[in-house]
Amino acid sequence: MPLTTDSLPQVSTETLPMPEARDEAWHTLDQHPLVEVEDGYAATSRDFVELVLKNPSVFSSKKAFDVLASPVPLVPIAFDPPQQARYRRILQPFFSPRVIKPLEAGLRKQVVELIEPIVQRGHCEFVSEVASVFPTQVFLTLFGLPLDMRDQFIEWKNAVLNLSAAAGQTTIDEAAQEGMLKAAELFMYLTELIQKRRGVPGDDVLSQVLNVEPPDALSDEEVIGLCFLFILAGLDTVMDSLGFGMQRLAENPDRRKEIVEDPALIPAAMEELLRLDPPAPFIPRVTTQETQMGAHTLPEGSRITSYLAVANRDETMFPNPYALDFHRSENRHITFGMGVHRCLGSHLARLEMQVLYEEWHQRIPHYRITEGTTPHVHWPRGTVGLDSLHLTIGQSS
Amino acid sequence: MAPNVYTDDDQGYAQVIGDGTVGDDEAEAARAGAANCPESAIIVAD
Repeated sequence: MPLTTDSLPQVSTETLPMPEARDEAWHTLDQHPLVEVEDGYAATSRDFVELVLKNPSVFSSKKAFDVLASPVPLVPIAFDPPQQARYRRILQPFFSPRVIKPLEAGLRKQVVELIEPIVQRGHCEFVSEVASVFPTQVFLTLFGLPLDMRDQFIEWKNAVLNLSAAAGQTTIDEAAQEGMLKAAELFMYLTELIQKRRGVPGDDVLSQVLNVEPPDALSDEEVIGLCFLFILAGLDTVMDSLGFGMQRLAENPDRRKEIVEDPALIPAAMEELLRLDPPAPFIPRVTTQETQMGAHTLPEGSRITSYLAVANRDETMFPNPYALDFHRSENRHITFGMGVHRCLGSHLARLEMQVLYEEWHQRIPHYRITEGTTPHVHWPRGTVGLDSLHLTIGQSS
Repeated sequence: MAPNVYTDDDQGYAQVIGDGTVGDDEAEAARAGAANCPESAIIVAD
């Protein structure tokens, strides 16, 4: 018997207990592979997510990002193959493991400089003091910009992110106006920077992207879009992952002890923390034609979002999926997505996180969430992360 | 993971070193690589 739309379970995501009980929130969604949510459908099983993300001609990323009405082309996420494949081919060499790996020593030095004062002080607000500034510094390093622009970039980034979070709202309040002003400032800054760098040889990623030879050369508009996307996709994602990861490590001293005693376990631990807490857990697509998902028919133009945090808890692939286990023999999580849009910056993100977990735990093996504080996930929102994470250093008395 | 079996190209895509034949000493590493490939793109033939 064919199923109808009415037979799909409906979930109101806005009321999920995401702020303080995100595991529970994801658990409410893991009983059905396809769910109806406020803005369309949610694919939650690993199989359905794979079907969606690996068929870009049926499930369009371009159509999903069109609604954002971004003033600049968000290269390459807001494109489908074959244009997307061209951008990807041009950009990918700048982010390959063999290009990223040599950055390690420099990143390690930056991380140590951020951690040392915290060792002295004995406490910190991890999100604002470490998780937010480190990826911003890495971006500035990569783009050949002075590190003293860090706080300016954090301000611009927050304004632009708040703006995109508010997209779809009909009223423009004061904060949104402020956001647009900041976005315009960033736009102006990038425009001038691109004019200065074009035609001038340089080691930084921006100079190299600008000096790509025709027919692969990118226009000013495309490069600005690319810079915006780097800022949108590369800064808060790492920040949020680190916040989530450190929260779980603070709350699970036995697991933390494992990586303190055996730092070689850190890469596996990092993958497990990434599996449980993808910072961008919602990957939107819009169908280009009527299509079948199991027994269900999706009309053309349907919005279907892949819920990566739920797919990463699919117990057909991850036994005991809610457990934090640093010894999984297989951990094919899809926190970086999958298919043609798979995260371009995954190697950089992994390096940033690994370096931080290593240097932190070498210096600060014991820490806990500061008494009287509770980390909260900002919700509802398109990306998830902690508002703050207050940590107290040392063994509990 | 399994640096004697897999490498990466200029685009950052994983590639199999040589013709893909591995000895018994690398078989386990090759299987671990296949098991953890996020795209399920690696097939190990016995």
